This record gives sequence, C-alpha cells and structure tokens, in this order.
Amino acid sequence: MGYETYYDEFGYPMKGIKLEKLKEFLMREELSYDEGIEFTVNICLSDGKIAATGSLQGNVLKCIAVADEYQGEGLAAKIVTLLMSKGFENGHSHMFLFTKTENIIIFSDLGFYLIAETKDAALMENKKDGIRNFVNSLKGEHNCSNAGAIVLNCNPFTNGHLYLVETAAKMCRILHLFVVSEDKSTFPAKVRFELVKRGVEHLNNVVVHPTSDYLISSATFPTYFIKEKYKAGDINCMLDLTIFCEHFAKALNITRRFVGTEPFDVVTASYNIMMKSFLGERGIDVIEVPRLEENNYPVSASVVRKLMAEGNYDEIKKIVPRTTYEYIISDRGMKIAEKIRSSRG
Amino acid sequence: MEIKKKATAGTLESSDIFVQVEPNDNGIEINITSIVYNQFGEDIERTVREVLSEFGVNSVKIQLKDRGAVECAIRARIETALKRAEGMED
Repeated sequence: MGYETYYDEFGYPMKGIKLEKLKEFLMREELSYDEGIEFTVNICLSDGKIAATGSLQGNVLKCIAVADEYQGEGLAAKIVTLLMSKGFENGHSHMFLFTKTENIIIFSDLGFYLIAETKDAALMENKKDGIRNFVNSLKGEHNCSNAGAIVLNCNPFTNGHLYLVETAAKMCRILHLFVVSEDKSTFPAKVRFELVKRGVEHLNNVVVHPTSDYLISSATFPTYFIKEKYKAGDINCMLDLTIFCEHFAKALNITRRFVGTEPFDVVTASYNIMMKSFLGERGIDVIEVPRLEENNYPVSASVVRKLMAEGNYDEIKKIVPRTTYEYIISDRGMKIAEKIRSSRG
Repeated sequence: MEIKKKATAGTLESSDIFVQVEPNDNGIEINITSIVYNQFGEDIERTVREVLSEFGVNSVKIQLKDRGAVECAIRARIETALKRAEGMED
C-alpha cells in the first residue's frame, strides 16, 4: 500500500450528508454518534472516504476511531492533537477521553491517564493523578470510618433536599454532600453550591464538596444532561458509579449513600435502581429516603422553578429554606426567573 | 515574560511533542509524559527549565506530552507555546 494523501474535514458539528457519512463510519467501528457533540474532525482520503475521526463535546474527547486498514499511520495521534488544541482554544485545560476498554493502551501512549473502566467503556483524563489529587483534597480533617454520602444537583436547594440531608445526617457520624459542579442547570453551579452550604450550616457533621468533573458530569454521565432524548433503559451511568466506588468511597471511607425517592424523572429513577444493585455488590448500602411532601405533593426543585416562572413567591416560601428564598427574591434570582419564563415560551 | 493566556504548540505525532501552557499563580509547575521518560525524563525537564529561564518565565503551568522528540524540537515547541501564551506569535 502506498502513501495516501489525506485531507481534514471539520464540523461544528457535522451536518447533513457529512453527518450521515460519519454516522455510517462510526457504526462500522461499533460506535454510536453522540447527539451532544459540538466539534468533529475527520481525516479523509482523496475520494472523501473517512479514514479516521474524533469528536469533542465540551472538555470530553469521544467517538474516536481509525479504520482498520489505516491503523499504524499515526492518525489517532493527529486526531487527538486536533481535538486537544480545539478544546484548549475553547478554554478547557483539563480534558477527558471516552473510549472502549481495549483502547486504553493507545491513549495512554498519547498522554492520557485512566480514571475508571467498566467492561465496555473507559474514561481517561490528561492530568496525571488528577482524580487522586482531587479526592485527596476533599479528605480534610473530617476523615472517619463509615461515612455517608449524598450526590445532589440542587437546582435550587429546597426543603426536600434539606429533609434528605437532615435524615441522613442523623444516621451517620460524618455526611459528605457532593454538589454537582457541571454548569448545565438553570441555577449557576456557584450559586447552587453556596445555597447548599448556607442551608446546611446548622448541621455540624455535614461537609459540602464540589464534584469537579468527576461525578455526574458530561464526562462521567453524559445522558444525565440530555434527559429528554433518552429512555430509562439507555442511560449509561456505570462509569459514574465505578468512579464513585473506586475513588470517592475508598478515599473518604463512605459505606452508605443516600438518595431521595424519585417520583418524576425517569433518568434519575433508573439511576437509583442501578445504583442500588451496583453499589450494593461493592459493600456500599444505598438508602432511599422518602420525599418530603407539602400538601400531599412531593417537594422538588422542578416545582420551585415552575413556581418561579409563575411568580408565585408565597408558595415558594413554603418549600425552600430561608437562604434559598432570599436568593430567589434577589435581583439575580429575578433574572433566573426571567430566563426560565423565556425558555418555556 | 508573563504568561497571559492558555496556549498549545506541537502535535502528538511520533517524534514530536505536544506542549500546553497556562497561567499559574505561584511558580513553575511542570508535568511531563513521555514514551521515553525512563531514559530521558530528566533531560526533558532540564530543557524545559532552561527555556523557561531564557524567557524569564517565573510562573507557568506547563504540560508536555512527548512522543520521542529530539531536544531542538522540544525547545522549539516550548518557545512557540510561550510566545503564543504571551500573544506575540511568530
């Protein structure tokens, strides 16, 4: 086989006929195109056939494949370089890579380090000891055996969350709260974190942590943020649970994870079911706490957001802590209400 | 020289090196990955420190992913990344 001339093809993301071509190529490589992808690069032959491809979604490199007959020519390295430069240009210096378990070795050669693997997928990052350093930074002085944990988004923090936290806190010596850091919710990540922190100030065995990109992020659990596109059975949360087990639970001696019962959202509900069996097998009890109800209706953050859109502040006051209420009626809270209204049309 | 923004230079192709630099608050932070780390890791780090001091850089976070580049290539890639990070390309 002689030397081929290749050309690069970029998509922001790919559309139309190019997208069809890409999807077809990925299918042959036993990968499926991820709808959240923002940028794709293909290396094509002179006749337009794809030889190699890779995509970027935020700070996650994914859907990387090289056709069998063009392997060993350094095309994967070219793809990864292009994607990394693009990600860096977009302001991400901490990057992740999602791949099949059998390809871990290829990408460790390109400077990626393994975070966690399941039987068919692996997540890697470009920082050496990234997750280990992050988890160790959470340890602090609160290290004790048999700790409990809750992972929550709190968009925003309600009395429902507070009830869950208080119930769990009574059952353990130390309770770690992980507030999702991914900035894809109506309330900015910083605000969600701050409201949780202030809302649990009175509980002295509760520690509030950020999750960085390591729990429920677009890297570990992409389907969480595009819920409407997925059916309950399709969610891919195994990596997320593996990371929780192998890194967070191990470092912080977590033996129990608490969740609220989920009456509305199918993705969260099936996440809870899978969590129970997966963590249970690995010695972590999952304890489901029934939701707090107000007038026979479960208290939830989505109800609060709905009431904000309607401007029904009397009702909001009944189901959120004082600190959250004060934020909602502040200028910045009003702006968020405006945003919710306009997104609902 | 002050590192004002994030920048990259080089590629991950064989015999090249991929360099990422970004501003850092306190001091020099170097992170090297190399397929020949056991043989040349120290030499690469020495080269990095030399180039940084030539440019008078006191604070930077620099990540290098080396795929077996020769020293002059390493120097050139670091220089380019630093110049880009200062906003004075070419």
